[in-house]
Amino acid sequence: MTDRFERLCALGVLCFITLYPSLQAQTTAPASKTAGPYSYHASQEVTLSGTVSGVLATPAAGMIMGSHLLLATASGPVDASLGRFALLGKGALTVAAGQPIAVTGVMKTLKTKQVFLVRTVKAGGAVYAIRNEHGFAISPQARQRASQRAAQKSESL
Amino acid sequence: MNRKAYASTVALVFPAFIFLALSFSTSCSSSSSSTPKGTESIAMTSGSGQRAPINVAFGAPLVATVTTGTTPVSGATVTFTAPTTGASGTFAGGANTATTNASGVATSAVFTPNGTTGGYTVTATVSGVTTGVNFLLTNTTALVTSSNYSFYLSGLENANDGPNFYALAGSVSIDLNGVVVSGEQDYNDAYGFTSPEPSGDIIVGGSLRVDPTTGQGTLTVVTNNLSLGYTGTETIGVQFVNASHGLIMQFDNSATSSGSIDLQTLPSTLSGGYAFTLSGVDVDYDSTVFGGVFSITGTTLQNGMVDVDDAGEVSLGQTFTGTASAPDSFGRGTIIPAAGTGPGLNLPATINYYIVGPEALRIIDVDPQDSAIGSAYGQGGAAFSDASLGSSVFGLQGNSWSFLYAAAGQFTVPAGGTFQGVGDVDEEGSSTSAQAISGTYSIASNGYGSLTIVEGLEDVSVLGIYATDPTLNLSDPNNQTSGLGGALVVDLDENILGTGMVIPQTDSSTASFTGNYAFGGQAFFDSNGGCEIKANAGKPHDNGCGEFSEFDFIGQGSVTGGALTGVGLINDPDYYFDGDVLNTGATFSGTAVPDGVNPGRYTIPLVIAPVDGFPVTFPTTIYQADGGQLLWVDVNNYDDEDLFLGSLQQQGSLTEVPAIKKPATQSKTPQKH
Repeated sequence: MTDRFERLCALGVLCFITLYPSLQAQTTAPASKTAGPYSYHASQEVTLSGTVSGVLATPAAGMIMGSHLLLATASGPVDASLGRFALLGKGALTVAAGQPIAVTGVMKTLKTKQVFLVRTVKAGGAVYAIRNEHGFAISPQARQRASQRAAQKSESL
Repeated sequence: MNRKAYASTVALVFPAFIFLALSFSTSCSSSSSSTPKGTESIAMTSGSGQRAPINVAFGAPLVATVTTGTTPVSGATVTFTAPTTGASGTFAGGANTATTNASGVATSAVFTPNGTTGGYTVTATVSGVTTGVNFLLTNTTALVTSSNYSFYLSGLENANDGPNFYALAGSVSIDLNGVVVSGEQDYNDAYGFTSPEPSGDIIVGGSLRVDPTTGQGTLTVVTNNLSLGYTGTETIGVQFVNASHGLIMQFDNSATSSGSIDLQTLPSTLSGGYAFTLSGVDVDYDSTVFGGVFSITGTTLQNGMVDVDDAGEVSLGQTFTGTASAPDSFGRGTIIPAAGTGPGLNLPATINYYIVGPEALRIIDVDPQDSAIGSAYGQGGAAFSDASLGSSVFGLQGNSWSFLYAAAGQFTVPAGGTFQGVGDVDEEGSSTSAQAISGTYSIASNGYGSLTIVEGLEDVSVLGIYATDPTLNLSDPNNQTSGLGGALVVDLDENILGTGMVIPQTDSSTASFTGNYAFGGQAFFDSNGGCEIKANAGKPHDNGCGEFSEFDFIGQGSVTGGALTGVGLINDPDYYFDGDVLNTGATFSGTAVPDGVNPGRYTIPLVIAPVDGFPVTFPTTIYQADGGQLLWVDVNNYDDEDLFLGSLQQQGSLTEVPAIKKPATQSKTPQKH
């Protein structure tokens, strides 16, 4: 009886030592979560090439907020979301229907429809930053601040 | 040399000598003083137009500038002369002169009205200049009925080549006639319209007009900052919940926004623990939020911990210390954070605060390159734990410059550290309603904690939670009897960010949701219908095609059997309702239908109908903390691209509201509003 008790105790201690790190982790690390529909992971980025078939400054019915490019690609039409700021202000994206472009971003399913969250647009030899690496839309003011910083950097060199 | 030649020489040389002598004399005179007599002038710079109660100092000094042409004159003595009889005043220490500085500016000593009411002129003169300048001042009735109110709001600015993010906080003294006596404020769009620091903007006048039945009206604030509002005058829509608390929105063409106004009670000193959140834009003009805790002892800020989501760059638990200056007579002071151990601090360099009361501060980032606004709430004396959080409702929203979303919900806490409930969320047109939510949380003894929504609320998942005094009403800090307790929350997800609050759910019965309510909301949207660029393809579109993505509303009405009918104000800069920008008399209506599965949750098709424009139905969900406090969120399941978050707050007595309550000597006279 005593022997069995000692072995049970030893087993309990062994279990505690083995499980302790994971128990501790559960109290300190946030619980895992499911990825939201707008979650943006740069590791999932792809680049699509196609032709602009439409430029929507504001969304058509059923689309998510913000401006959109309608693209004709080899694999079919793509709704490319540009967010709220891409067509606004200085340094705004300038594209026209019929223009060949390449967009880099992540394909998502939102409101049961596929939409391509665009991070950069390459058009007419220029590359436009639309979102940052976390998916946040870049505003005209942010573009201005970035260009000012770049100018200051080049002046200091 | 003959006489003729000599005479000719004298005739030529003598006048030349005289000319040179005179020229030399004039030159010497010029060099000895940079202010040639006769060309000097004096101009009024600021301080005119002020009103102050008898025997109470004016809010701003009298300032005059002396120049010669466009050149400032330094060292000149300016004399300020007030009337010797009747309405007038005196300068502190009897000093009625001031010397100009290097910019030619002379600033008077503090000027205090005498005991006689009325308007009058103080004249500023400088020696050698015949024409002085007049400062028009008014001594108003005694201050026995004046109260200070702290206010804050944020939204989108139309001025300054907007839309830009902007934040505004201040304190204003209002007498019972509704006269704005004085005040201070800080405005910051991080884009050139930042109030001068450390002074901020001086509020020199204005008025509050309130309907005594509804508590609805406007607060006009006249500032010395001519860039703001309409040449320095801001119009703010107000909806009083009770005499010490109201919902507000900017209600002019310069900007739209939402916030609140609260009666101010100044403590002798700030002390104890505080939880805080801030929401705004960083130096890159990217959206950013902060949340955390700190404590204040005297002027020392310590034990700070802050979580930051800066456009997806998330940092947790940065430590910080700092200093907090003593508040001035308007409850305004400055916090200067300093980095603690670990990585460099990512907080604003300078934060001004406006006291509501000992446990409520409105805080605003006043750095010229970044802007943020929020609140700091006292934490009381007790230690926190997971047990500090119980059944609650919550609301979260991004700011007007961030990813646009709004979320609300309610949950119970079946066991410490876990929760489950229901929520609604709209993320830029992708929405989910009545979703089961669940997750975990942890709260440390200092109130700093984390909360993770494991599933159910789309992208809203990783939150910071910061516990507040369980005896404090976060919406109405002067309310010490109901709606008490809760926490602030910050959305720290990598792809979205926002701020909000958690309120204990103490009464979910439908019978409690009745009576008169003040309500408001901050709405974000895109224009409907696909604004397709055709003729100008390839060019950035101009204003009027979805650039401005916010409207705000406040209102008042009654709820009977779940049916809401109300009237309110709307500021709609981008013509969401296809009518006037500034709407008064808009109607709000709808019937709240209880959720049979989740007591405390209602759905209401809220119809907002402006007087000018088209009515719009907003599919809205209400979460009831108790009969006095409810949150509502517009979660659009259709193709309309709009969302809002706001609150309904049960109205109390309005009789003590300034401009409603009249001084005894005037209460018999009917007042027009």
